[in-house]
Amino acid sequence: MNEVGAGTAAVRVQGLWKRFGEQIAVSGIDLELPAGRFIGLVGPNGAGKTTTLSMVTGLLRPDQGTVEIAGHDVWRDPVAVKARIGVLPEGLRLFERLSGRELLAYTGRLRGLPGDEVDKRATQLLDVLDLAGSQHKLVVDYSTGMRKKIGLAAALLHNPEVLFLDEPFEGVDPVSAQTIRGVLERYTASGATVVFSSHVMELVESLCDWVAVMVAGRIRAHGPLAEVRGDAPTLQQAFLELVGAGSRTAGADLDWLGGGAR
Amino acid sequence: MSTAPTTGLTATFVRLKLSLLRNGLRQSTGRRAAYVTSIVFSLLFAALQMLGLVLLRGNDHAGTVAVLGTAVVALGWAVLPLFFPSGDETLDPTRLVMLPLRPQPMVRALLTASLVGIGPLFTLCLLVGSVISVAHGAAAFGTAVVATVLALLICMALARAVAAANIRLLSSRKGRDLAVLSGLVIAIGAQVVNFGAQRLGSGGLAQLEPVWNIVRWVPPASAIGAVESVSQGSYGVGVAQLLLSAAALAGLLAQWSRSLTKLMTSPDESTLQAAEPGPAERSSANLSRLLPTGRTGTVMERTLRYMWRDPKTKTAWVTALAIGMIVPVFNALQGTGSVYFACFAAGMLGIQMYNQFGQDTSAFWMVAMTISSPRDAYAELRGRALALLLVTLPYTALVGVVTAALLGAWAKLPETLGLSFALLGAMLATGTWSSVRFPYSIPQEGYKNVVPGQAGIAWASIVGGMVSAALLAAPVIAATIWLNASADGADWAWLLLPVGCVYGVLILRLSLRLAAPRAARRLPEILAAVSKG
Repeated sequence: MNEVGAGTAAVRVQGLWKRFGEQIAVSGIDLELPAGRFIGLVGPNGAGKTTTLSMVTGLLRPDQGTVEIAGHDVWRDPVAVKARIGVLPEGLRLFERLSGRELLAYTGRLRGLPGDEVDKRATQLLDVLDLAGSQHKLVVDYSTGMRKKIGLAAALLHNPEVLFLDEPFEGVDPVSAQTIRGVLERYTASGATVVFSSHVMELVESLCDWVAVMVAGRIRAHGPLAEVRGDAPTLQQAFLELVGAGSRTAGADLDWLGGGAR
Repeated sequence: MSTAPTTGLTATFVRLKLSLLRNGLRQSTGRRAAYVTSIVFSLLFAALQMLGLVLLRGNDHAGTVAVLGTAVVALGWAVLPLFFPSGDETLDPTRLVMLPLRPQPMVRALLTASLVGIGPLFTLCLLVGSVISVAHGAAAFGTAVVATVLALLICMALARAVAAANIRLLSSRKGRDLAVLSGLVIAIGAQVVNFGAQRLGSGGLAQLEPVWNIVRWVPPASAIGAVESVSQGSYGVGVAQLLLSAAALAGLLAQWSRSLTKLMTSPDESTLQAAEPGPAERSSANLSRLLPTGRTGTVMERTLRYMWRDPKTKTAWVTALAIGMIVPVFNALQGTGSVYFACFAAGMLGIQMYNQFGQDTSAFWMVAMTISSPRDAYAELRGRALALLLVTLPYTALVGVVTAALLGAWAKLPETLGLSFALLGAMLATGTWSSVRFPYSIPQEGYKNVVPGQAGIAWASIVGGMVSAALLAAPVIAATIWLNASADGADWAWLLLPVGCVYGVLILRLSLRLAAPRAARRLPEILAAVSKG
């Protein structure tokens, strides 16, 4: 076994490439994500986070490269992989003409869980995520925060080992965000792995203990939070330095802007 | 800062409307061509009908046509904003909510602006044609000028008032669902118009007299009725009809102004929705108890729910069910039909199996995440086919029985049913295979069923699928022909029922077996193809 730590990588990515026409979305990623950690994949919009997560979870076929989850190849051994992961993608719909409860019942049963077990878990998840009051509303009528929460519930229903969340806090109100956070923290405390993408540094800094910084389709830095942050006061600062956008000042020309006399 | 002077406001709104019209030209070449063509055709049609109405002058039924025509156009103005809320952006006053405007000047400005456009011009042509066709004498022509203006304003105010009163519904999810279903209403409306035209053709315009007698008192048709009355010398009646229209206009404007004030000062939809309590528990537990357990039942349940709840799917189903019944039954009623026309229902309903994953939209990822082997894919596809069979099988049988009953061709019922079932099996089989082979996206908003760039795939899969389905069902068709042609074949024709059933089941199963491994292999590609909507 290697020195990373007795084969405890939850996700192992090697030489991952994806190109859309002329544009290279992901250009050769090698990455090993340790198990049992709260992992943040950070980067500006368009850095390739969603593309990477889609390829890692088997929703998008890479041009090149391999992905292993808990030692199983995503493309060669989908039976072992799909049972072990939970996914909350960004920009894809849910079955919105089902009610929240129906959606959970549907997902759980598709996953092959026994019906009464699905119903029991669904009730608890709806309760914890503060959705019990809207469980019979159609998902199409849910707000963004409620959609993220019901998506999270669907991803957790089969108790996966690794949970992939693409921008789980995007457009979510503070109360729902706190609820989601609580659930995720409890989940990782039990030894499971969470991998989530975000461009909000403060959030990543306060939640994660391990981060990977992605810029323009490549991983710029990765490792435990303190290591990536280095000497910078905040992750935000460290990130801006990594990206090389630290010195840009905005608003020099907007001298007319401001309340008061007009 | 004070509010802008009213004249400035009106001019601004008129300019806004003109810019919106002009911007129709600033699109891609294809859209611009469609836009210009539609304008040219509308104007041509408007000119032609004006000419037609003018030529009617002196005809006994000119009044009937003018009054009823006006009523129909007014009805159109009342209904149109419900179905095409996005057709005129100035219809949605909530876009102006952040501007410092008072209701009265706003009503004036919006009403003036609404007179600019192709629709109002079209209506004006119709109204002018109508009054010319009925006006005789100076007094009548004087009335005609007032009547035309009144009727035109009523039409505009009607559209605006209806839109303002319903804007909450129109901008909500239920309103958008309604808009998708409206295609259906138009299709059924066309049938009704067709039927009406046929009756008129046989009975003549005289049978519309009673309707005319009522409608000439209903604004804005009453304004046109006034011109007619004045022409005939009934001045009192004319004045009453004109006053009725004026009162209606005043009432509409007041109502519109009230709705505007309410709209501008009350919380918006998202706030109201959040405050609404959730509906009571749906009694859907019964459905799942009747279905098989495991993936098959789960998939069936969702498919059946979507048939009812998803507006696009629902429209497709209602259309297929209606046309599947109408074609054989109408043909039978007219005495031109054959009992074999009943097979048409199987063809129409079988189309619903096509592009299964496209119907999921990008929510297909939830399915993809749970398919890890050809076996899962098989169960998924079989579940969907079974859910469809739950509806299509009894309905196909019903259409067969009804058609046979109308024609009195009971002896041919077994072979018709056998043929239908074989064809249904073939359609589901090709539908399954092309769902996996040629998936494409269905846009969720609007009327289109294909996104730009995938129309070729959509057509190829449906047309190709139907031809292949006919070829697949060929052995049963050939057997039917052979039995009917041979001397004592009719005695054995009942055999086609079991043969058709077994044949349909066999080819469906074969197709599922062939399609499942491919589906399991190509999940990311299918997801990419159906996520463009």
